[in-house]
Amino acid sequence: MMKRRAAALTLAVSMAAGLWGCGGGGSASTAETAPEVEVPTEPFGDTIKYDPSVPINDGKDITVELWEWGSDELFQQIIDGYTAMHPNVTIKLVNNPWEDYWTKLPLALDGQNGPAIFNVHNSYHENMINYMAPLEIPLEDLEADFTGVEAHVIDGNVYYIDYGMMTGSVYYNKEMWEAAGLTDADIPKTWDEMREVAKKLTIRDGDRLIQAGLNFNDDFHQNYLLGLNYQLGENLFLEDGRTPNVTSDAMKQIMQMLVDMYQVDGIGSADFGEKSSDSFGQGQSAMVIQWGHYYNTLNTTWTDIDFGVFEIPTFDGEPYAYNRYNGESTFGINKNAPADQQAVAQDFVKYFLANDDAQIAFNLAMSTFPAKKSLADNPEIMANPSLSVLAEHIDHYIWPGPMPSTMETSLKKAGEDIFYNGVDIDTALNAAQQEIIRDMQSSTFTSVEDLYKYAQ
Amino acid sequence: MFKKSYPLQSKSEILLRNIVVAVMVVFFSVFLIAPIVIAFAGSFHEWNPLSGTYRFLGLENYKNVFTSQLFGTSMINTVIFSVVVIIFRVGLGLGIACAINSVLIKHKSFFRAVYYMPVVTPMVAVAFVWKFMYNPQIGVINQILGTSINWLKDPNLALPAVIVMTIWKDFGYAVVMYMAGLYSLPMDVMEAAKVDGASSWQNFRYITLPLLKPMTLFVVITSIISYIQAYVQILIMTEGGPGTATYLASYIIYDEAFVKYNFGYASALSFVLFVITAVFTWLSFRVSGTES
Repeated sequence: MMKRRAAALTLAVSMAAGLWGCGGGGSASTAETAPEVEVPTEPFGDTIKYDPSVPINDGKDITVELWEWGSDELFQQIIDGYTAMHPNVTIKLVNNPWEDYWTKLPLALDGQNGPAIFNVHNSYHENMINYMAPLEIPLEDLEADFTGVEAHVIDGNVYYIDYGMMTGSVYYNKEMWEAAGLTDADIPKTWDEMREVAKKLTIRDGDRLIQAGLNFNDDFHQNYLLGLNYQLGENLFLEDGRTPNVTSDAMKQIMQMLVDMYQVDGIGSADFGEKSSDSFGQGQSAMVIQWGHYYNTLNTTWTDIDFGVFEIPTFDGEPYAYNRYNGESTFGINKNAPADQQAVAQDFVKYFLANDDAQIAFNLAMSTFPAKKSLADNPEIMANPSLSVLAEHIDHYIWPGPMPSTMETSLKKAGEDIFYNGVDIDTALNAAQQEIIRDMQSSTFTSVEDLYKYAQ
Repeated sequence: MFKKSYPLQSKSEILLRNIVVAVMVVFFSVFLIAPIVIAFAGSFHEWNPLSGTYRFLGLENYKNVFTSQLFGTSMINTVIFSVVVIIFRVGLGLGIACAINSVLIKHKSFFRAVYYMPVVTPMVAVAFVWKFMYNPQIGVINQILGTSINWLKDPNLALPAVIVMTIWKDFGYAVVMYMAGLYSLPMDVMEAAKVDGASSWQNFRYITLPLLKPMTLFVVITSIISYIQAYVQILIMTEGGPGTATYLASYIIYDEAFVKYNFGYASALSFVLFVITAVFTWLSFRVSGTES
């Protein structure tokens, strides 16, 4: 254990350096600043072991490409760690912006010269899966080390898993909190308490809203409608796993609560702060619910905001599940790549999964809770408040599977119809239901909500 | 053989002509004809080129287009958007071109450049700036007007707000086109009218305007084609919202193709829109009387 940690220590340090460099507005190139990588010689890992002494490609030179859409320094550091062990391997990092990535990548994978390794986001699962080779790591080893693996099994094979789990938490402005006379003891556990706290945080000048207690504009569909249903015991899909359940009583109750928060409680307004995330960063709103990535956004973009984080409230304190989560995915392997390149890709993924420090660095960079079981109580992870607030109930979060984008877009339209166009809740949700059904006709998606540990 | 048909042309000229024509034919075949044929075939299929799905559906996609309430709403929005923007583009363009063309105005090139500047600015950049200007809390428009209107989230104001931005960005094109038209007007006709005692208005109404008719037709038709395809400003400023209040026909195509990867349905929408564009263009010719 000690050997393993010592072996990869330098890698972690250099990864962190890369991240800080990114957050600090950039610095000299990696080649100039990265400390010399200490090369591990002993096998490391939990159940999935990586043996650095095994030669790759019989020691012959080989070059593969790794495609990703951002965080170049993070990827480069893990590449540097890997190639330090295997100097005959060259991994060329190719960045394509997110907007282009998902159109260029499938076309590249369909040809002969696509990247052997590529970063995956599960929202594009259906477009990617036909180009992916299954991992050669035994399923039981993956399941022993990582949570949520069973949701990724397709006909006995696993093509990628989650290295981290991202979900929503409440971010609050500490200065506004104190100015309202609130203390840590006031951190709400239920939605009723949340609404009362939000009222105290709201500031008005006559009819004019000066400060919103809670803002959910522009992302209510992602952060409330697609998640709080679980607190009320309703899944997003019916038993067949394909029929959307957005007209459920739970969805209507959540939608009504959102309407009441603005229109009855007056703790915010659909016309105040057009994006909740920006509004919080600009100091207009006291609380927002955002997913993990927001922690890094605040630390890099809105550095003036002194913020705290707490777990999402529940309706009764004992929810069926707290919220939805989504996984940050491990790398994909191109099944159309030459066999020698695929072998390198398989080895690289194994190295990534076995390497705790790489796992920590990636999870901290993305603000995701580690899927690697041995890292659930890791001190570095627990030092991040957006992750530590999830630790106690992390097994009470549900991943519905790689939902088609229509779930988000249709519910966003429904919410806007309700808030801005005067459409009643039933009509708006029924329209969303019909649109989702139509859009999913050609989808192969099936929900994995029934794999939830505490599924009823 | 060529020498017999075209005795005045040299071999090298004929060779050059054939190469140029061949290149053009290949270019248009590969980048225009082939995509149109592929898209037309795709419009009868369930088609996702990224996942490799391609399943014959017959007329199902077209049936869905004509029964879609959203497509109907978006077509109404598209017509309103196009008509209003074109009227203002032509009206402002003509008016300002005439004003700049006046003998009273100096530095004509400067004004022409100023009015043309928004036209050459990327729509994405302009849309982002205007979106910021429309912000209900910190937008300059509300500050000037002393209001707190949520322009882009009000179902009655969102489309007009996008229309105003589009007019501002695009009317400079008509200014430049009309100035070119005004420069080319025969001066002897103008002077003859002046000698005959025609007023400035009569000069404009009965001489300038009719002589600018081909230019007006050109501006109107290119505008129709352009605005029926408009979607960038919607994508940046409203994303079709609030709800579906600002959906334009081309935005649905973008949404279906590049968000939902439903290329078959998007292709069917595209062909329906192509036919509608052709009809509007033909109508413009008819109304202007040019066709006859």
